[in-house]
Amino acid sequence: MWLRSWIRFSVIASLALVLLFVGFLLSASAPFFFNYGLSPIIAREWYPYENLYGLLPALIGSAWVIVIALSLALPCGLATAIVSVEILPQRYHGLINVCIDILAGIPSVVYGLLGIALLLPWLENNLDLLSGHSLLAAGLLLSVMILPTITRLSQDALRDVDTSYREAARSLGLDWSQRLFSVLLPQAWPGIRSASLLATGRGLGETIAVMLVVGSIDRIPQPWYNLLAPAQTITSRIGREMGEASVGSSQWSALMACALVLTLSVLLLSLLAQRPART
Amino acid sequence: MANRCTQVLLILLALPALAVPLACLIYLLMRGLPGFDSSLFSLNFSSAGFDDKHSVIPQIMGSLALSVLSCLLALPLAIGLSLYNRLYAGPRSKLFMQHLLTSFQSIPPLVYGLFGLLIFVHFLGWGLSLAAGTIVLAMIILPVLTLNTIHAIERVPQDYTDAARALGMSASQIIWHVWRPRAWRSLLTGLFLAVARTLSETAPILFTATVFSGASWPDSLLSPVTSLQTHIFYLAQEAVDENTVARAWSSALVLVTLVTMFSVIAHLLNKRHIKHG
Repeated sequence: MWLRSWIRFSVIASLALVLLFVGFLLSASAPFFFNYGLSPIIAREWYPYENLYGLLPALIGSAWVIVIALSLALPCGLATAIVSVEILPQRYHGLINVCIDILAGIPSVVYGLLGIALLLPWLENNLDLLSGHSLLAAGLLLSVMILPTITRLSQDALRDVDTSYREAARSLGLDWSQRLFSVLLPQAWPGIRSASLLATGRGLGETIAVMLVVGSIDRIPQPWYNLLAPAQTITSRIGREMGEASVGSSQWSALMACALVLTLSVLLLSLLAQRPART
Repeated sequence: MANRCTQVLLILLALPALAVPLACLIYLLMRGLPGFDSSLFSLNFSSAGFDDKHSVIPQIMGSLALSVLSCLLALPLAIGLSLYNRLYAGPRSKLFMQHLLTSFQSIPPLVYGLFGLLIFVHFLGWGLSLAAGTIVLAMIILPVLTLNTIHAIERVPQDYTDAARALGMSASQIIWHVWRPRAWRSLLTGLFLAVARTLSETAPILFTATVFSGASWPDSLLSPVTSLQTHIFYLAQEAVDENTVARAWSSALVLVTLVTMFSVIAHLLNKRHIKHG
């Protein structure tokens, strides 16, 4: 009997938490959308003291950071997965896995510290910048942070390719790179695709490390491809201003609107990743 | 020839994945180790956080209290949910649960932090407190733990369950005598990984549980704590003095060591499990 009530309690408590959470997100950001409508999403100015809440700079910042991170981490992660599953003999797998485990095990705040100590001075010296705080720094740091996700899930996807496909490709006389590009990668593609989607979601939600190196200035890069300028991402804005916004103020609800936009985009990515790929 | 070229190119592309972690680790050791002296682990907390020779024992305690408590809070719920999944849920609610858990797993920890800030810190008036941080971290880890526990129970062969049913065992007898002996190892693995994961989170506890200094060992669940993660964050942001920066690196090394410790224990448990399974 106690078993059944325990299970019932777990289910009810969890559902209550889910409902409370959704209710919290909607109700806390609702005042913002009631007062300002949807137009702030594409407005350019964010000055809380003048009640200007344009989300565009942070949205662009987040987009740039994740694009930089993916364009570096995806080739590297995929290559690492191919090297470890298809090229290196079994006895080296441990070494690669340990390296990936080290990357995955470093907490994001430590990445932030490493970014401040290594990345920022390096950027300042090599690119002749006043401050290394920039979209590029955040993107570089983030690429290292999402690398383990991409590598591990791509490794799984490659390992899951059925042996019969490998054997068939071999018996057709395809050489190594033909087998890789026309059999293995297409077969592993659904897994690689969801790996990238999940990594994108993780990267978008990453807060502390990005916050420490991105510069937190609400400005759209000028010109738009200027990645060396300090900028703002959605998460860094929330992280920076949450401490000073008083609960219930319009700044608070604007930040909650940022959180809602963030959550919705991450949920969308997660749903896309969960959707079984078309065959 | 073309094959060789592709392989060499791929290996070159993969090199950063080997070089970066090793470089990070070596740099972390180089900066962190020199600060490891008796004052780092001294039991005298009076100078909490301010001077350059402060002890990080309160931070270690705070971090451990937050993660361990949150995982212990989430574990019973996770087990309850996975038992529901195994015993009562039909195919449709199983699928729904799977989607819901995966979705909530993907929500950024920062957003859970905001939830905690509004509900526990302000609405319930707990202030920055161990309890608020614990519940927020428990919410973050609950989907992960539940998915893991569901897996652990699913890995018990169906024959065992069928045989137990045929013997007329009740649900609770099956759980205790058939599932528990087969599943406890992977359950424990998941628990240790969860502790490692919560130890790495900074954003959600920054606004809900921690202060920079002035808190040593929390008197009650409603008092604020300090944690290694937020300590490193504040020092990384504010510190200019060289010795204080050195403290940030030593704290980072302590944190990474703790996280690694829990992951390694999890890994060892999992390995033995596979060997015996």
